[in-house]
Amino acid sequence: MTPETIEALRTYGLAILLAPLAGAIIAGAFGSKLLRDRTHWVSLLGVAGAFAAAVALFVTMQSAPVDARSVVIPIYDWITSGTNSVFRFELLIDPLTSVMLLTVTGISTLVVIYSRDYMRHHGTPEKGYERFFAYLALFVFSMCVLVLGGNFILLYVGWELVGLCSYLLIGFYYGRPAAAAAAKKAFLVNRVGDFGFGLGILLIYLTFGTLEYGAVFDLVRQGVTDSGAAIPDGRVTAIALLLLCGACGKSAQLPLHVWLPDAMEGPSPVSALIHAATMVTAGIYMIARCGAIFTASPVAMTVVATIGAATALFAATIALVQTDMKRILAYSTISQLGYMFLAIGVYAADSAMFHLFTHAFFKALLFLGAGSIMHAMGGVIDVRYFGGLRKLLPYTFITFLIGSLALAGFPLLSGFFSKDEIIHHALSVHPILGVIGLITAVLTAFYTFRMVFLAFFGPTRVPEGAVAHEAGRWMLLPLFVLSAGAIGAGYLGVEVTGKGFHHFLEPVFEHTFIAAGALHGAGHASVAHGGFWAEYWLMVLSGGLAIVSMIVAYVFYVRAPWIPGLVKASAAGVHRTLWNKYFVDEAYSLVVVEPARRIGKICVALDDYLIDGIVWFVTAVPRALAYALRTTQSGVLQGYGFSMVAGAAVIVVLVLWR
Amino acid sequence: MTSWILTITILSPVAGALLLMLPPYGDRASIRRSAVLYSLVTLGLTILALTRFYSIEEASDGAFVLMHELPWIVGESVEVVDMDGYLVEKPSIDISYRVGVDGISIWLVALTSFLMPLAILSSFTAIRERTREYYCLLLLLQAGLLGVFCAMDLLLFYVFFEFTLIPLFFLIGIWGGSQRRRAANKFFIYTLAGSVLLFAGIVYLSYYSYRTLGYVTLEIAELTRLGQGGYLPLDVQWWLFLAFAAGFAIKVPLFPVHTWLPLAHTEAPTAGSVILAGVLLKLGTYGFCRLSIPMFPDATFQLAPAVAVFAVIGIIYAALAAWVQSDVKKLVAYSSISHLGFCMLGLFSLKVAGVTGGVLYMINHGLSTAALFLIVGYIYERYHTRDIHEIGGLAKRMPWMAFFLIFFTLSSIGLPGLNGFVSEFLVLLATATSGQNSDGVGRGPLGYGYVIPAALGIILGATYMLWMCQRLLFGPLTEPANTPDTSAGLTADLTRREIGILVPIGLACIFLGVYPKPLLDTFESAARRNVLQSPFTYDFSDVRAPVIDIDDDHLATAVSANDLDVNGFYDSSGHGVGSIDAAQGIVRDAEIVSHASMTPALVGGGGRSRDD
Repeated sequence: MTPETIEALRTYGLAILLAPLAGAIIAGAFGSKLLRDRTHWVSLLGVAGAFAAAVALFVTMQSAPVDARSVVIPIYDWITSGTNSVFRFELLIDPLTSVMLLTVTGISTLVVIYSRDYMRHHGTPEKGYERFFAYLALFVFSMCVLVLGGNFILLYVGWELVGLCSYLLIGFYYGRPAAAAAAKKAFLVNRVGDFGFGLGILLIYLTFGTLEYGAVFDLVRQGVTDSGAAIPDGRVTAIALLLLCGACGKSAQLPLHVWLPDAMEGPSPVSALIHAATMVTAGIYMIARCGAIFTASPVAMTVVATIGAATALFAATIALVQTDMKRILAYSTISQLGYMFLAIGVYAADSAMFHLFTHAFFKALLFLGAGSIMHAMGGVIDVRYFGGLRKLLPYTFITFLIGSLALAGFPLLSGFFSKDEIIHHALSVHPILGVIGLITAVLTAFYTFRMVFLAFFGPTRVPEGAVAHEAGRWMLLPLFVLSAGAIGAGYLGVEVTGKGFHHFLEPVFEHTFIAAGALHGAGHASVAHGGFWAEYWLMVLSGGLAIVSMIVAYVFYVRAPWIPGLVKASAAGVHRTLWNKYFVDEAYSLVVVEPARRIGKICVALDDYLIDGIVWFVTAVPRALAYALRTTQSGVLQGYGFSMVAGAAVIVVLVLWR
Repeated sequence: MTSWILTITILSPVAGALLLMLPPYGDRASIRRSAVLYSLVTLGLTILALTRFYSIEEASDGAFVLMHELPWIVGESVEVVDMDGYLVEKPSIDISYRVGVDGISIWLVALTSFLMPLAILSSFTAIRERTREYYCLLLLLQAGLLGVFCAMDLLLFYVFFEFTLIPLFFLIGIWGGSQRRRAANKFFIYTLAGSVLLFAGIVYLSYYSYRTLGYVTLEIAELTRLGQGGYLPLDVQWWLFLAFAAGFAIKVPLFPVHTWLPLAHTEAPTAGSVILAGVLLKLGTYGFCRLSIPMFPDATFQLAPAVAVFAVIGIIYAALAAWVQSDVKKLVAYSSISHLGFCMLGLFSLKVAGVTGGVLYMINHGLSTAALFLIVGYIYERYHTRDIHEIGGLAKRMPWMAFFLIFFTLSSIGLPGLNGFVSEFLVLLATATSGQNSDGVGRGPLGYGYVIPAALGIILGATYMLWMCQRLLFGPLTEPANTPDTSAGLTADLTRREIGILVPIGLACIFLGVYPKPLLDTFESAARRNVLQSPFTYDFSDVRAPVIDIDDDHLATAVSANDLDVNGFYDSSGHGVGSIDAAQGIVRDAEIVSHASMTPALVGGGGRSRDD
């Protein structure tokens, strides 16, 4: 890259970070007094500015030759401890970063636009309007730190900061105990993941003596530590598994998925942005970024694929019976993230990124659509309380339907292409993984259309007191844009021109996932290299299954609504288990939380009785001595003063006469 | 001026206290105004000292600068051989008023002077009785704290160290809560018990300096060289380390001698808690870092795993205990114990990054915990309770307070971008890599195994702090009857004065989180030069002969052997000569006595091999 290009990238990179940060600070500082119901402009300016810079960065990068599109740009020395451990604030810019930045800033811009109306009721802004936009902008900044950071410590910084924003936004309606509890739960479950993540980063430093991506990945590929010795056996696997802990927390994979459904207590735009399109994909981004580490450990790759497949299926089954639309979508998100994990685990990181990209469109669309319903229904989002909305909310219905079709994998919509790729790769590595992928696809189509039919079809019902109204322009615009994306984004991955999504990412994964995949016999090349028809049969199969599934849902919930009740009654135990999400929350409470608190109580008791008892006993001797020797009515202090001097004298004498 | 600046800074709060006690006595408002003014004068002097410090070239290498020395207890002069092997005249007893600062202590001085005006300001409405005495005691306490951080003489250190007890004892005992007598007594007995052992250690060390060097010295730099140079036999180091540790561990406080702290904190007035958590606890960690680690390097290396185990137990134990507290102040107090475990872990990793991180941890903990105690105090002033069951949902009533409480909670649980993260990261990094020899100070005694439970402590830290925030701030508003109490001129949410107290702390937290380099650089050079000077190897297999215990007979032989004119460049009777040779010989190898050459090379190079 020429110095001019690097200089330009540096400028754009900094703009991507600083624009939303400035927006957040200005909104936070002046929102409540000065800006008030205009605060969204500040936030929008910052986020849209970041999007513009991300586009400029993407275009600039295109001008560089394909094999030289990766550059590290130092900004300043952050934490230093001597010359040997300097942790810089530095940006890594490469195609992977670029894709993530476009996704994050693009969706964010739309969500900010949407929120302008969503956070108002009949034209008046909600309480905390300015706080909301400050948090949103702060989130965009944090997420950009995460994807732009050039070393593990910045990754961790971004990782924690997005967690903070998530905490603040889930708890936005802090007056509701459920929201406050959900916020805390999200933060803590993520902390559990970060426990492993942090240990993994420390282990990287311990092994390689640096935390810079480039240096670490080079050493891993060479199989040596910084001192030139061979890496100890199992060390890379240990690092990969520890990092994976963090990814499981952030991306809500088993067994740390429990926070995401509860996170739906936050406002809907937050669910769309943070808990569907961007933050929860950080785990996938991290694994893709650390491809050198993960692909060096087949064990870790197997674990990633297994967790992904298990989560995809597990979450999809729960989504079958839930009635809260946002929760259904939350479980769907967990399930789709599982697909992405599965893809990475079968060496198809580009397919994972592709699914991440398309998923961002249609899932954000669905959440925003659900938000529109919620807005119209006076805050109710449970499908048991409304139905037949397609007449009342026509635009919401159309866009929601498009999103649902994409999610369900309806042929030729975005989700169809990306999901199909993943199943294809999974089948080529292990048939069971592929079959799980297919089953999950069937379930996905079913629960998605169950939701669509319950909400939009049948007789029109609205909750009491709700005045159903179609959303305003600010809310509809993002829905239309995202609908276009949900339909069209998939074609970026169809490699006819050789300039598509996968080719763009190829330089990043060339030496990691692609090389290792070839080694492990993963059928990587077929899609990426124009083998469009090679998996024709699979496309027909999965597309057909999706359509069949939708028809079944139609029969169940529109034609013959008595069937679900019958199924529920005949398998009450299964239903109860699914309804209660396999009792995972209850198990954690019983096995982890309660015992820990009990131990805490024991600690306090030990302090009060055992340790203080011993102290009392030890001090009894000088106290008794002082008491006995005290001739006048002296105060307490003299007694201790005396015992101090006496004790010191005794010790000195003992020492000197030893 | 440069030489007097520290002395003036230390004495300025005393002068302030005296001025407060002098008639004419003003009313409450004028008293507290003058108290703030006096503490601001000290702050100004500290800033002056800080700028002086940074203008001195040597300071950036970690040297002690701004030294000021006045004779105190000085005996007749005698001729002795110093540790470099030169014949010099030394007073037979050398205990002086010596003050000076290096990169570590200057910032602790700054922390003290920074927090004191804020602590005084925070007492405006809370303290309504005996205000004059109260502010006097606070100022005296500050003088003691500044003295400890500046002291370059062990006895002076001890005097200041002990002196801090007295004002705090009265602050808790007079202006404390309902159990103030019990808390004050417990605090006093606990810390005094430790101090007695510390004092015994100091006496023994001075005695040992006499036996080794031929004169009694309590100059910290000299004693450090004694320890670093290998003049202290291992068993002596062990005993001294344990004696010093008794004094310091109680102050830190290290598990299991921490039980005085929760009670002292809950009963102390807000300003007392602020100074107690913000500065006073650091006397313990500072003592370890300034005295124990450099003076007893071999014992430190051997005992570090034990200390680290206690630190790690404390981290988890205190975190769990904090989680089940219903008194918010007690919760924060337990969190202090947990956090200082991290600080200890960093110091005892014996790595540059660890000591740097540990010292930064002291500053960061001082800032964020002080702020948390201030906020708890604000709540208490309004609701007269700190019970988490009686108050809740305060974010509605006190949005500013909620903002600050969340902010400092995040700082306390180590959110990146704020101060706590940097120090936590360095501490864990150093602990993990302690066994490696990468920073030129040799291998440390800890390892990755200590990091795992410590990291568990981080999860727990977030757990109890967020639990507290949730209970206090979120959910439906819960308040006891007839509250918030605004009789003292407070408003329902924080007043401007109260916000003004928190803002500087918050800004410091952001600055240290984003750009900690200026501090880290000075810490690092000071840590290399004054804490971990020589590259330790701690490979005791290198010591050829077993360490022999000193006994008088042996010493006598050694002295007589050296009464001979050893190298011919002097022929005094020089009892000091014998001593130093004897000590060298005994510490290292009996053979050395016979060919003692007075070269620095031997002093540095005998017995313990330098790091490769």
